[in-house]
Amino acid sequence: MSSVLSINNLAKKYYNKTALENINLNFEKGKIYGLIGPNGSGKTTLMKVIAGLHKQTSGEVLINNIPASHKTKANLSYMPTDDFLYDSFKVKQILKFYSDMYADFNYGNALNILGDIGIDTEFRVSKLSSGLKGKLKVTLALSRNTDIYMLDEPLNGVDVLSRDTIIDLIVKSYNDSKTFIISSHLVNEIEKIFDYVIFLKDGFVELTGDAENLRQKHEMSIENLYKEVYR
Amino acid sequence: MLKLIKYEFMRKDKVIMVFIISLIINLFMVLKLQTEGSAMFIGLFPLISMTLYIVDIISMYSRDLNNKSGYMLFMTPNSGYKIIVSKLITAILEGLFILLFYFIIILINGIYMGSFYNINYNEVINFINMILSGYFRFNLGHVFVFLITALVFILNFILSAYTAITIRKSIFSEIKFAGFLSFIIFIAINWFTSFTAKKLIPMLNPYFESLTQVQGSLTATQLVYVFLPLMIVLIIQCAIMTVASGYLLEKKINL
Repeated sequence: MSSVLSINNLAKKYYNKTALENINLNFEKGKIYGLIGPNGSGKTTLMKVIAGLHKQTSGEVLINNIPASHKTKANLSYMPTDDFLYDSFKVKQILKFYSDMYADFNYGNALNILGDIGIDTEFRVSKLSSGLKGKLKVTLALSRNTDIYMLDEPLNGVDVLSRDTIIDLIVKSYNDSKTFIISSHLVNEIEKIFDYVIFLKDGFVELTGDAENLRQKHEMSIENLYKEVYR
Repeated sequence: MLKLIKYEFMRKDKVIMVFIISLIINLFMVLKLQTEGSAMFIGLFPLISMTLYIVDIISMYSRDLNNKSGYMLFMTPNSGYKIIVSKLITAILEGLFILLFYFIIILINGIYMGSFYNINYNEVINFINMILSGYFRFNLGHVFVFLITALVFILNFILSAYTAITIRKSIFSEIKFAGFLSFIIFIAINWFTSFTAKKLIPMLNPYFESLTQVQGSLTATQLVYVFLPLMIVLIIQCAIMTVASGYLLEKKINL
């Protein structure tokens, strides 16, 4: 199977603190990867390095065999966990921004999804609840037609019903030409969609493997394995 | 590039508010104090608008690099060079809009005052002709050279702030007292740019020193001789700072 994303000997250091160390990972086409770990384990830093928002101290990130740069951002749809949307913009202006900046953004699809989940495009971003902002961010990321989708904590700050909506959106967007990397604390709610799981601990890869194999080998769910690993 | 500039302007809703408030203040001052009010507004506006303009241009860049909303811009497949150049073009256009707004205010106030004082427009036209012909020992050439130098000087100042913020968010991204460090870098860049300007200007124009000591006013051509080396040095410095900031945004940034 071909790698759409390769990470080789990656390290990220902040003077006296090591955020990531010796990360070697390959991501294949058509799989959903769960990137899990507690706060401070390095999930967000790793995603930001892949997305080009942070620069690694050493090592390389290859997207379709090309070193990560502004050009590879066209092949990667990243949803940060933070509130990053321009607050003063209306939802329709955010859609237009995505449409103008990303050639692969499907404006009509985004409108349909927003209609289904009940977000009026006339709303101003600053007036949206955290749940609606979460859904809007996921909609924007999934409305691009690209190789890699990277969602950082898509279930954060979202109520139980909205979590199901977001998981449904991810599943509907998935096909065997796309690769998903999803980080989450809420392992029990999302583990069912993971094909492969990466456990990060203190900036290192603690454990990786096929989700089903890990369940069988350890005779427990990924959530219980998570508790075991980080105990 | 045009799209980046478009969204830079769309985020400037507060600047539009400043324009509207300025118009209302001008109206109030002209109606209340008439000629004195108009003169006060026209005298104070350049000083206040210049300060607000510099603050707006620099703080917007700082927000993009220090706040999460900056991800919107830096996640897009645009190079660091393209981003910094689009910000500079936006800064130039915004400055020109403010200048245009100022001239429109002067015109409106002039027309309004003219209705009270029965202004002889032939005299106004004659006055403009006298300026154009160099009667006052300066003409449009002087004004043009002065405006271009001022523009390059302002751009140089803005770029030194951009470079300081970019260095802070790349090479020194995880150091404490970030704001203070940015300020120190900004001072250091400005010291370095003025130091290099002092050294380079006499080399570019050997007559520079003698021209600056000419008694009385300079002709437009002489003024060009004085300002041109300064402009060349400022433009070279602007180019270096643009490339350096673009490189750091592209290769070293930590948002």
